[in-house]
Amino acid sequence: MLSVKGLKASVGDEPILKGLDLEVKPGEVHAIMGPNGSGKSTFAHVLSGREGYEVTGGSAELDGEDLFELEPEERARLGLFLAFQYPVELPGVNNMYFLKAALNAIRKSRGEEELDAVSFMRLMKEKLKILHLDDSLLKRPVNFGFSGGEKKRNEIFQMALLEPKLAILDETDSGLDIDALRIVADGVNALRSPERSMIVVTHYQRLLDYIQPDHVHVLAKGRIIRSGGKELALELEEKGYGWIVEGEAA
Amino acid sequence: MNAAAHQRTGQADAAEAFAGWLQGLGGNGDQNGSGGIDWLESEREQAAARVRTQPVPTNKSEGWRYTGLRKLIEQGFVNVDEPVTALTPDDIGEILIPELDAHRVVLVNGRFSDVLSSLGELPKGVRVGSLRDLLESDPASVKGVLTRIAGEGRHVFASLNTAAIDDGLVLQLDRGAIAERPIEVIHLSIGMDEPRVAQPRNLLSLGDGAQAQVIERYVSLGDALYCTNSVLEIALGRDAVLKHTRIQQESRNAFHITGLYLSQEANSRYAGTNIGLGGTWARTDLVTRFAGEHAECDLKGLYLAGDQQLIDYHMDVRHALPNCASRETFKGILYGKGRAVFDGLVYVARDAQKTDAEMSNRNLILSPNAEVDTKPQLEIYADDVKCSHGTTVGQIEPEMLFYLRSRGIAASLARRMLCLGFAGEIIDALGPESLRDYVAEQVGQRLEQAPLE
Repeated sequence: MLSVKGLKASVGDEPILKGLDLEVKPGEVHAIMGPNGSGKSTFAHVLSGREGYEVTGGSAELDGEDLFELEPEERARLGLFLAFQYPVELPGVNNMYFLKAALNAIRKSRGEEELDAVSFMRLMKEKLKILHLDDSLLKRPVNFGFSGGEKKRNEIFQMALLEPKLAILDETDSGLDIDALRIVADGVNALRSPERSMIVVTHYQRLLDYIQPDHVHVLAKGRIIRSGGKELALELEEKGYGWIVEGEAA
Repeated sequence: MNAAAHQRTGQADAAEAFAGWLQGLGGNGDQNGSGGIDWLESEREQAAARVRTQPVPTNKSEGWRYTGLRKLIEQGFVNVDEPVTALTPDDIGEILIPELDAHRVVLVNGRFSDVLSSLGELPKGVRVGSLRDLLESDPASVKGVLTRIAGEGRHVFASLNTAAIDDGLVLQLDRGAIAERPIEVIHLSIGMDEPRVAQPRNLLSLGDGAQAQVIERYVSLGDALYCTNSVLEIALGRDAVLKHTRIQQESRNAFHITGLYLSQEANSRYAGTNIGLGGTWARTDLVTRFAGEHAECDLKGLYLAGDQQLIDYHMDVRHALPNCASRETFKGILYGKGRAVFDGLVYVARDAQKTDAEMSNRNLILSPNAEVDTKPQLEIYADDVKCSHGTTVGQIEPEMLFYLRSRGIAASLARRMLCLGFAGEIIDALGPESLRDYVAEQVGQRLEQAPLE
């Protein structure tokens, strides 16, 4: 599904990603872990097409399509979804209007009809329930005045609605208390399917107790330096990143 | 020497520059229906005399620094005393607000039109009519209001309007009268063979405790080139409440000038929203005077200016008495080579203790070639007041744009959503819902035309 080969990217003159390889097959959940500043978030941003990063080498293909040839909205329509570490507040932009615009843009690109008002509301309510969200959320401006937990739940709610092929969860656990984390993780697990892949970017192993990954990768200094099963996450939790990063350097 | 040459030397006198504006009017009372009304005749003569002695403002004149008049004077506008009678209600279907339930008054090229108006049944104590008719039937009813509130006005355009007083809208609410349905006033302009100016004089007068909601719109059929120079005097009695929406959506070739002069008695409330979308050159002066304590004046505004457009709002709010509140919240969206001016003055006299005044002007600039000149000013001579002002000029946050695009939303729509979100504070405060939807739609359409830069 996703094939990343030798990816290099920089911010300004500073290289951040220095040759990253990753293969994600349909239905797989991959965790990318690593110390702060290792390039985890850069990787998520580069894949989704955020401005401010320059791809200096390598490739990334989603179902055979070159992501770097596409605008951010085209990547989203292709089935890529980024759950933001810091969801952006949009004062004055009504959440329901936003969700409808997003859903219709994506449905249209799949050749599906726009949803009528009744079907749209029914779908909203169904998805809100998964994330334990109140429907008053629909009437508020997007993320504006939301608590940290509400913002993260709103991200997964959008993911539930847009049904992406590949979801990238960028530090979705950061800033969440254990109850909120459980709700978010339950939401994510409900969306696991043989067709849908996920990349879970996290600094801590904690989230992986709830979202069990098929593969765990350690990212350091812009490259994946170790890959393994979920037991690798436990090892990292126990020993920290030092041993593996230094081991690599030696 | 022609008017334009005068302007370049900075010595033009207004009588020459605007000679056509008073053509067929000045001095002959019988011709425009106010013959025999001495006080009005005297006001008009004095105004005409001011026009003869006032210079045309230049970019060195206070209040005209960013608003050049050359383009306007070059058009050589003339007054055309030719009522438009051919229009039928079918012709104006396209300019109506869908599903708006209102008493509707239509003026065409400054003249009251009975055929196009549909007033329905007005509540007791509410009168709507033409100034011309009223000056014939009951001139005493406007004495003491007409010309009294505006006085000499802020500049030569007020004098020109007063010198030309002839017709316009008069809305009067008796003491305690309440108009529940909105009253919509459509100032419709249509093109004539020569560039014409219309100078409607409008009057809203609410007696003590009266309440009304007025929606005023400046609209045109087609892309005609013309000029509207209107003066609106508003008198609010004690405890009166007026909710007033003004939508300037003139043709993109039109010139628009409004002077709104407001006088508020004790405990009255004025809530005005100014939406500026149309015209190639539009100047609005909003002037507020408090005549009693505990009165509140809330002025909101939203303006959009693109290529070939200048939209200018000047505000002059004077607190001479204690315990009054004023609030100005103006937002602007500029794109292409659009230009806007915001010049707000709040003056708090020494005796105006406990004044609560707040002014904000925020602008969103979508193109490097657009420009806004914003100048909020507070002049405070009292020591126990709560006053603040703030102004911002910014661009769309790339973060916000990316967030929307990352959800599959096209860049152009994403930008429109963010602009509407920015404008939402002003639009959402409009009532009723049909009006809100209409304004959002108009703003959305304008943004759709804005080039992506």
